[in-house]
Amino acid sequence: MNQRDPFHQPSRRTFLGLAGAATGLAAAGMGAGWATNRPGIDAAAIVGTAHETDVLVIGGGMAGLFAAVKAHDAGARVLMVSKGRLGASGMTPFAKGFFVFDPETESGSIDDFVDSVSRSALGTNNPVFTRQLAEHALERARELRDWGFFDQTLSHRPFLKPIAARAIARLERVMITHLIREEGRIAGAAGFGLDGAGEVITLRARAVVLCTGAGGFKPNGFPVCDLTHDGTVMAYRIGAWVTGKEWNDGHVTRSTNPAACFDAWGDMFERVPGTNGVEIHHDLGVDMNYAAYRTGNPLAGGPPGSIDTAGVSGGPVTPEEFRRRPGRPGDEGGPPERGGMDRRPPPPGGKGGGPGPMQGGQMGGASAGMAIHKSEGLVPVDDRGASTVPGLYAAGDALGSHMAGGIYTQIGSSLAGSAVQGAIAGEAAAEYARGVDLAEVPSGRLDAIRAEMLAPLTRKEGYGPAWVTQTLQGVMIPNFVLYIKKESLMRAALAYVQELRDHHVPMLRAGDLHELRLAHETANMIVSAEMKLRASLMRTESRCSHYRLDYPDQDDENWRAWITIHRGEDGQMTLAKQPFDAWPSLG
Amino acid sequence: MTIKSIHGCIGCGECVKSCPCDVLRLDPGNGKAVIAYPADCQICHLCRMYCPVDAIEMAPEKSIPVILAWG
Amino acid sequence: MKRDPKALVLLAAITLFAVLPLAFYVAADVPRRSSLKEGLSILTVLALVAVVAQFFLARSLPVLMHLFKAPAVQRVHKVVGYCAIALLAVHPCLIVLPRYLEAGVRPLDALVTLLTQFESLGVVLGLAAWASMVLLVATAYGRMRLIRRRGLRYRSWRSLHGGLAVGFVVVGLWHAIELGRHTGLLLGGFLLVLAAVGLALLLRLYLLDRPRQSRGVPGVPS
Repeated sequence: MNQRDPFHQPSRRTFLGLAGAATGLAAAGMGAGWATNRPGIDAAAIVGTAHETDVLVIGGGMAGLFAAVKAHDAGARVLMVSKGRLGASGMTPFAKGFFVFDPETESGSIDDFVDSVSRSALGTNNPVFTRQLAEHALERARELRDWGFFDQTLSHRPFLKPIAARAIARLERVMITHLIREEGRIAGAAGFGLDGAGEVITLRARAVVLCTGAGGFKPNGFPVCDLTHDGTVMAYRIGAWVTGKEWNDGHVTRSTNPAACFDAWGDMFERVPGTNGVEIHHDLGVDMNYAAYRTGNPLAGGPPGSIDTAGVSGGPVTPEEFRRRPGRPGDEGGPPERGGMDRRPPPPGGKGGGPGPMQGGQMGGASAGMAIHKSEGLVPVDDRGASTVPGLYAAGDALGSHMAGGIYTQIGSSLAGSAVQGAIAGEAAAEYARGVDLAEVPSGRLDAIRAEMLAPLTRKEGYGPAWVTQTLQGVMIPNFVLYIKKESLMRAALAYVQELRDHHVPMLRAGDLHELRLAHETANMIVSAEMKLRASLMRTESRCSHYRLDYPDQDDENWRAWITIHRGEDGQMTLAKQPFDAWPSLG
Repeated sequence: MTIKSIHGCIGCGECVKSCPCDVLRLDPGNGKAVIAYPADCQICHLCRMYCPVDAIEMAPEKSIPVILAWG
Repeated sequence: MKRDPKALVLLAAITLFAVLPLAFYVAADVPRRSSLKEGLSILTVLALVAVVAQFFLARSLPVLMHLFKAPAVQRVHKVVGYCAIALLAVHPCLIVLPRYLEAGVRPLDALVTLLTQFESLGVVLGLAAWASMVLLVATAYGRMRLIRRRGLRYRSWRSLHGGLAVGFVVVGLWHAIELGRHTGLLLGGFLLVLAAVGLALLLRLYLLDRPRQSRGVPGVPS
């Protein structure tokens, strides 16, 4: 049934049979594969609306909040657009720790902090962004405190306070599918509304700040399922450079009800956010994947709690200075309590309000498809979040700033980094917008975008996006593909992903606006999967959260470099090295 | 199961707006929240926590097969 | 052994207005929550039942009037009425109260959200029921002054009180069935039957009471 014969016109009987089978699968909760499309809405009747602004902020999390506020305060007209709602989508709602460098209480200097992060990150961090974090986080925390962010569990109302006070316009539940580039620079974006009979929305802007977060493969056990690298992939399509794709976030989840991320995190999601000071680690996560790979499922019959990686030889290396020793005083209670989603769940028996110990065994792949916070995303060309596309900025997890490096180093820096970078990029975008006019977008271009955007709704039949996503998950999530990497399997997975890219993405169907969103998300995840595989294949060494079974050692001679990815003139995904501590050379 | 049930919904739409994954929609008939796309629920409980009348009950089970790094 | 008829009536009342509703509450296919939330829900449900029960305490039930003295019945009517209505008046607050003890939307924010859903039929019904309830209580509380100042006759007052009560209960029940967490088929149906019987009793009282009326009005020859 999942075979497609383009020359075969189904008879009415097979037609009904296909539809019936699809309904049956859908009822069973399985995304149906190939099936007749029965759109509940009329794509041709979807109205189009247009907006204009100086600075368009895409995304409503921590980075988007500050980008909008600071762009406004710098004198720009600002429009925020978000797939979800301000403060209630992406990773922001679940991060509870906010790093601040308070000179009053820290014993070391900012220089010491940056050096320490660089040592833990084995050089993979960009010290310019690491320093920027430390310099600005306290001020951002003060503003958040004024807005009530540290007084309640949920972020929507505290975030709304400064936005409403400035009367910043918001469009919510709008999925942006296209960034528009004209005259060599950013011209705006386009997307569709998720509600009612739909709405195609065109947003012309002098500057755009991507605060779209990073993403994963809609994995189970981590609250990242709405993030599918939409910003990165849209930007890649218009020529932006991307980085950090080889790094891996190694969160695990429980073996019982593994998809229940709320339950797996104890009371984490219900906590009120708080601040924390310097606390630098080298939290791998992928070391547990390695232990599971080496010893089989290490959990069966074992004691509840974390995976014992101590007895397993080889595998990802944590620098001696940053090794967590089991039972070391201070390991319990402190950082995990405030660390938010920054790190994997703590060892069992964590006291003092840390996430409760995971009951039963642990399962890998909870955050599959996600790199390290702040490491993947657009390649910055300066310290203000500018990308390789003039007028296009990024901040937070959408910016490949390598603030923490290819490993999560400073507890609480994820949320703080988004705030700091959002504010800086917002200001920079406002400044840029002052110097340019709105770029003209030919109407033919807008028509083409609309057709592309709504295509899955208009297909008579096609692949269900949920089914394609599950297929992608089956290829990408297993431990031996992107966690414990080796060339042969990554090549095999790449072949699979390319097949999905070439043969399934063009045939995705959508019966309603929700499915249309899924269709675009699925396409974006497939591009991201290809990037991850190619970058992981290219990096022939092991370092931080990137572990190659066939290149287990760190190779400083060849690999003191990040990997950038961009679309070459031939349309092909093109990878290049960018030396650590150097800005990209665009030549 | 994911979102298990909704009882006592007043139709304010807070859950629809706060669901990152667009699982919930308001029924055009009676204006109340319905679990429209349960397979996409990431079991994060935001809807439950945003609901002003505490109408949403959660369950930890996912309604579709779960793919993990190891089994 | 002969049962005290008063005790039998009390037993019937407890069964009808407490045991049965609780049984329906338990039988409803609604997830159980913390004991605080369940307790508040049960109190609210009992208050709603008590309000409907007021129709049976309005001199409308002959058996009651035979067994008990009118002032006693009246006292019960008054105490039950004020208590139940006090609870119903604050029940929107009781819904958000447990949020003080748990994460999520803050109680006051939740209250503002729920009270401003003017597009929701159930909420609008609730607000209307609340307003009519306030009117009902205000007129009941100030009935003596009302009767004195406006020269209202008892019978007119009774019609006013009855009319307001019927309006309040109809709108309130509609609200409860539209929005209530526990007012499903069983409890909702039960409340409707109870209200219908109560209304019938009230109507009968008002209609059958006429002979006394003609007899009781002074200066009119019979």
